[in-house]
Formats: sequence, C-alpha cells, structure tokens
Amino acid sequence: MPTPTASRPLLPSGLRLLNLGFGVWTVLVFIFLYLPILVLVAYSFNTSKLNIVWEGFTFRWYADLWSNVPITRALKNSLIIASFTTVAAVVIGTGGAWLLHRYRYRFSRTLQTLICVPMIMPEIVMGISLLVFFTVINLELGFLTVILAHVTFCFPFVLVAVQARLQGLDPALEEAALDLGASPLKAFWLVIVPCLRPAIISGALMAFTLSMDELIITVFTNGLGSATLPTVVYGMAKKGLNPMLNALSAIFILTTIAFVLFSSHLRKLSTR
Amino acid sequence: MQALPSTSANSPHARRPRVWGWVLLAPMIAWLVLFVILPMVILFVYSFCTRDDLGRVVFEFTFDNYRRVGDPIYLTILGRSIAYAALTTVLCIALGYPVAWFIARQREAVRNTLLLLVMIPFWTSFLIRTYAWITILKGEGLLNGLLLAVGFIPEPLTLLYTPFAVIIGLVYAYLPFMILPIYGSAEKLDNALVEAAHDLGAGPVRAFSEVIVPLTWPGIAAGVLLVFVPAIGMFAITDLMGGARVPMIGNIIQNQFSKAFNWPFGAALGVVFTFMFILAYALIQRRGARDPHS
Amino acid sequence: MKLLRILPLLVLAAVFATVARAADKELNLYAWSEYIPQSVLDDFTKETGIKVNYETFASGEEMLAKLLAGGSRYDLIQPPDYIAEALIKNKLLIALDYKKLPNFKNLLPEFTKMPHDPEQKFTIPYMAGTVGIVVNTEKIKEPVTGYKDLFQKKYKDRIVVLDDGRELVVAALYTLGIGLNDITPANLEKARPVLADWFKLIKLFDSDSPKTALLNGDVDLGLVWGGEGAILWNEDKKFQYILPSEGAHLFVDILAIPKGARNQVAAHKFLDYILRPEVSAAISEEFPYTNPNGEARKLLKPEQLANPASYPKIVKKLDTFRHIGESSTLIDELVTDLKNAK
Repeated sequence: MPTPTASRPLLPSGLRLLNLGFGVWTVLVFIFLYLPILVLVAYSFNTSKLNIVWEGFTFRWYADLWSNVPITRALKNSLIIASFTTVAAVVIGTGGAWLLHRYRYRFSRTLQTLICVPMIMPEIVMGISLLVFFTVINLELGFLTVILAHVTFCFPFVLVAVQARLQGLDPALEEAALDLGASPLKAFWLVIVPCLRPAIISGALMAFTLSMDELIITVFTNGLGSATLPTVVYGMAKKGLNPMLNALSAIFILTTIAFVLFSSHLRKLSTR
Repeated sequence: MQALPSTSANSPHARRPRVWGWVLLAPMIAWLVLFVILPMVILFVYSFCTRDDLGRVVFEFTFDNYRRVGDPIYLTILGRSIAYAALTTVLCIALGYPVAWFIARQREAVRNTLLLLVMIPFWTSFLIRTYAWITILKGEGLLNGLLLAVGFIPEPLTLLYTPFAVIIGLVYAYLPFMILPIYGSAEKLDNALVEAAHDLGAGPVRAFSEVIVPLTWPGIAAGVLLVFVPAIGMFAITDLMGGARVPMIGNIIQNQFSKAFNWPFGAALGVVFTFMFILAYALIQRRGARDPHS
Repeated sequence: MKLLRILPLLVLAAVFATVARAADKELNLYAWSEYIPQSVLDDFTKETGIKVNYETFASGEEMLAKLLAGGSRYDLIQPPDYIAEALIKNKLLIALDYKKLPNFKNLLPEFTKMPHDPEQKFTIPYMAGTVGIVVNTEKIKEPVTGYKDLFQKKYKDRIVVLDDGRELVVAALYTLGIGLNDITPANLEKARPVLADWFKLIKLFDSDSPKTALLNGDVDLGLVWGGEGAILWNEDKKFQYILPSEGAHLFVDILAIPKGARNQVAAHKFLDYILRPEVSAAISEEFPYTNPNGEARKLLKPEQLANPASYPKIVKKLDTFRHIGESSTLIDELVTDLKNAK
C-alpha cells in the first residue's frame, strides 16, 4: 500500500487546507479526551483522602500503592481477563465477519441480528441470565466465566468493525490469490487479513477497552479471586475513591503511553 | 442508514457455503446459541412467570408482566433514552469523523499510535474518569473557574447535574466507538480518488461531502450501530452526571433485579426491549437489501 | 499490536492465579466491599492458620442474587437486616452454635433479638447505622430538626438524597405518622403528594456517594447514610448530622452462615473473633459506623464516640426495616412515576 504521506505534497491546496482543518480539530478532540485524564493524574497527588476537594500535594499514594494488594491484584485480573477476551473476540469476530461476507448462509440475516443482540441487551439482564446459566451447567464462577461473558459482548464490536471494512474490499483480491494457487485458508491469512488489519486493530482496541471497563456483567459472573478493577473501584466509592486509585490509573496510563510512543519511535529508527 | 453492515451478507460475490463454510462458522454459532440464545430463552421463560417474595421466579404462568410493560410511562422513558442516545450519536459523528479521517491519512506507525491514544484514556476506571469530569464541571470547578477568570461569565454556571453534563459524559464515553470504525473504512481510501474528485472541479468541501463521506458510509453506519445501540441502555452516566433525576430505561430494568425484587417483570422489560431492537434492525436491513444504492 | 506480544506472559499469570486451594484451612467470606479491614483478616489468619477469602459485593441485592443462584459456596455472608429476615424465612441460614461464641455476651442488648431475628438464632450484628439529615452549617443557619425543615421551598436545588425508593418513601410516611413497614397501596397514595413536592426540590439522587456533592458545595443539605455523615463530619465539623424528629431508620449489617457452608467451624471461629472487643474496636477505627459491641465501645476514643453520625442523639425510638416482599414493586413504581413526571 502506498504511504499517503508520499503523495501528500501533491495534494491540491484546497484539500490541504481541509486536512489542516481536520488536524486542528483532531488536536481539540484529543484535548477533550485527555482533559479528565490530566485532572485524574493531578488529583493523584492530593493529600485529601476523600479526594473530592483539593487540599495539598503529596507522593504518599504512590508509596501506599505498593502495599495495597487487593487493588494491584484487581488490575492484574483485569489485564488478564481483557487480554484473553480480546484474543477470543478478535478470532471469533474477524472469522465471523469474513464468513458472513464470503458465504451466503441460509440464516445470514438472522445471524447478523443475533450477533448485535449482546450490544442491546441490558447488562444486568445479561449478567443475571449468564449467572443462572453457569449455575445450571455447574460451572464454577471465576476467571473462565468472566471471560466467557466478556467475549460475548465484545466480539460483536470486532465483527461490526471488520464488516464495515470488508464492504469496500475488492472481491477480485481473493480470487486472484486463489487463481495463483493459494488455498482458501492461505488466501485468507496472507491476502485478506492484512487488508483488514486496520479494522482488526480497531476492533481489538474496542474489545480490550470494553472488557477493562465492564462492571455489571462482571459482578454477576465473577467468583472468588477474580475481582476486576471496576468491581473493586465501585465498592470503594462508599468509603471515598481515595487518590490511590488515581495513582494506579496514572501509573498504568503513563506507562502504556510511554510504551506506545517508545515502540513507535523504535520502529521509526529501524525502518530508516 | 441504508449501508448498515448487514448488507455485506448480501454481497453479490457471496457464495452458497459448502461443508467448510459451515464448519468454520460452527464455533460462532455455538457461541451465539450458548451465550446469547440460551440466556434469551431463560429470560423469555422468566417473563411469563410469577415471583416469590425474594423476587425469585416461580414457574406459574402469567401474562401480567407484559400487561405492565404496556404502561405508557415505560414508553416515555424509553423515548427519553432513545433521544439521549440519538443526540449522542450525532455529536459523536460530528466530533469523531474529522479525527478518524485525519488519523487515516498518517503513516502507518503514526496511525496505530494515534489510535491507541484515542483508547488509552478509557483504560482507567469509569468511576474515576467520571469523578474527574465532576471536578471539572462542578459549581466551584475548573471550567467555571476558568470562565470566571477570563471574565466570560459574571457568576458560576450550573453545569453539573444537568442534561448538558449528561451529554458531555455520554459523548466522552462513546466517542472512541465512533472514531475507530470510521477510521477502519477511511484508511483504505485512495488519495488519488480524492484528488480526482478535486480535479474534476469539485471544491474541497464538495469533494469531501460528495466523494469521501459516501465512500466511508460503511464505517459511519458501523459507528452509529456501536454508539447508538449501547447508549440506549446506558444509565450510569445519567445517574452520576445528571444526578439520577430522570429515569432511563436501563435504570428501570436494573431496578427490577435489585430494589424492586421483581425478576419476571425485569425479564419482560428485557424481552420487549430486545425484540423491539431486533424488529427495528430487521426492518432497516430489509430496506438496505432492497435499496440498490447501498 | 504490543498487547498481543505480551500475551503469553499473561497466560502464565492466569494459570498461577487459579492454582487449586486447600479447602479445610480456608474461610469463604462474602461481604460488603470496604467493610472489613485487611489487618483484621490478616490477624485472624496469623492466629488460626485459616486463610480468609474475602469476596466482595456492593449491594445487598447483588449478594442475594449470587447466593440464590448457588454458584459459589460461602461459609459466611453479610446481608443487611431485612434481607437476612427473608433468608431466615426461606430457611437459607444455618442456626448458630452459641457454645462456640463466648464473646457473644459483649453485644449491647438492644442489638440482639431484633425484629429480623426475634429468637436470635441465626444472625450476629456486625455494624449498624442510621439514615439522617446532613446540614452544611456554614451555609444553612436555620436549625434543621426533621424532614419538614429539610424539604423547604427555599432549599430548592440544594438537596441531595439517597437514590433509594424505600428510604424516601419511609421518610414521607414518617411525616404522615405512618409506620415505616406499613407499605400498603393506600399508604403509598398518601405519600405520593408529599414525595411529589419533595422531588421538585431535590438537586440529585445518589446512594453510592452522596458526600461528593456536599463536599463539592453543589448542595448544602442531604438525606444520607450515617456512614457518609460520619465521614463528612470527620472531614469538616461544619457538616452536622441530625436524626429526623419525625422518626428515623436504623439498619444493621449482620453476619450469618448460609446453607451449604463447607467450613462451619471456621465460620464460628471468625464470628467469635469479630465479637472480641479489641477486634471490633479496630474495625470502628477504620469504618465510622455504629458499633453494636458494648465492650468495644468502651475502647473507642472520645472523639470517635463524639461523632454525631456514628453515635447520634436518639430523639425517638429507631425502627428497622422489615422484609416487605412484593410491596417493593409498589415503591419502585411510585418512585419511577414521580421521577418521570418531574
């Protein structure tokens, strides 16, 4: 695929202006997205234990974080659950989108609608019905049940994102690969998947985020030792969401951002 | 809306599946049957049951739960939820489309970095993010402080616990789910195409609205689906930032399983809600299939 | 995607996280989150060698749903009083063995044989609290003594209340002189106009953290949990807590052993441990609720006992919630209707 930047200087001036406008807009939207994050990080240095009104500056909460086992364990649980969920959701979602695109099943439309049902189903309804279901089949509540529940509401997001991408896909692409002697599986893996990559990445990001932030379904499907960060945070609201939670979020967010920027910097160096 | 993703199922190049087509699809079908259809069946059965005094289901047939769902009060509440979700969706498109387009025009490494940066704020906890917004919007909050300092307003505005705050909260929560799918379909657009439109005499605005936007319809439609549908059932944001002054359909259903101790009625509401969605979705799909433009 | 690359590590972590547990030296405790200090649990483990698995819930209904589903086996649960009553009625609790609970005598007599467990067979009170009025005395100079002083036109949009239909309905019933457990359609119709007037004045409904809006200064008065009132008072003495003169509601969170508990011996050991004065006092140190343990109260500091929200001045006899069963639907309907009409 040609990199867009290569052709950008050739863009007509009007379009360049449009691009510039969109760039400024994007900066503004990023400010909107990160405004609460800045506040959140700032308040991680608040001396007030209730962390509602600003009182003074301290590093105390970062130190306290090391000794608070439940919170760090909950973050670890959340990451484990979100990672497994993402992988499963991407596999099911991408595969499903491709199959529904390539083949005309007798129940294609019904399937399509069913896939979207987890998005509309109220969380508590899904949480309770899954709780009843897991109990009936005698599956002990824990990591597995939480992951099963999360995959169920995450994979439709991947599927829908990938389908949108597939709609503009040139059908000749797969045929060409098949004509060149590739097996359908190889054609899918080597030709289609790379084409779908932006949508798959989008879908994966959405699935990971949804799983990290889900509260109600998690509450009804988790068991001993599988408490996630949202469930712990929600429980803490009663006593006051103390700045330790902000400190945890701050560390997590900042290391992730540093990691992302650093790795893209590395890649830039290596391609040079 | 004619370009809902569903239409890909009717893609002209789609073939009839042979054995492998079914075998590969089997895991997804199994998943849907186990974790979507079965819970729905449980729900459906519950909705015709009565309850004991703990709210538990007693298997004794009744139609009362559905009779209650027909109460106009639940319709007004559903209408309100839909209105909020629709406004959120429109604002998300307006805010998100340029961002998705801009990200799609970058080099691949930059693209992925920017995409991650769109999502990373949402890896913190919902409650902590929302409390940060409360800090910004409250009477003596940062926004009022800023506006007062600049002399823009003579006295603090009431922002928090108003519909305005609710919309901010909703748009903030759902914006990424609009940006990402649009990005997915904008990324593949060729600059050459855009330039061609321009060369043919279209101004930048016309080239954009008549060439680019239609080509990214699938992405917009997917974004609408991913934002609008979940936003209807959302109530945590309306509770925290709106002060829980008006009920949303999500509150009503949640309450039946908690405070009201009435699982069967909650199930009936859930069933009606889900079937209304299925019906609306099927209608849109059918229209999309008939409309050759898509 | 970087995430995909670190996945194998996470897989390993998950495997370690779910390593099998030995059952007999463990106690599965299902309790409110942020209610039992970690140090109290650690000391119990140090003393007895029994590991406590503390699984948390954030609402009584959530606990009930999971308990009734029977997915996990708990040895000890911590329901609110009115849910405990329902559990007793449905024969879902195991009777206590008082021979194993010598510290039971430490409890104040008014916290035993309460209406939810009149024969005192199944439940041990853990902590108690009230629902009362909080006033920011810097902003509100006039005295507030009851619901009628709270819900005045001049306080429009300066009030936060619990987002809990039953608490609000009960407050309205108190002003009408109706008992708090008399939830009948006729009484609710009488409460309707009172509530309709109140709802016009309320700025926000919040059950999880009503203290936030008070601390932020977005509201100046509130109808809140005693625990919230106690935290507010500790933060700033301008927040005064008052039990309404018309009558107020006392709630007790109890500990009980559910049917199907595997380790009843450990459950009894834990109950007796919690009833020790010094342990109970340590809990009060961390969480400012009303301590039902008379011996423990003797160990509290004067400023703890001076907190008006933890140990309020009782004007009128306090009442507890009873299990009202299907009437909760009527309350939900009424409150939904009023909120929608607003």
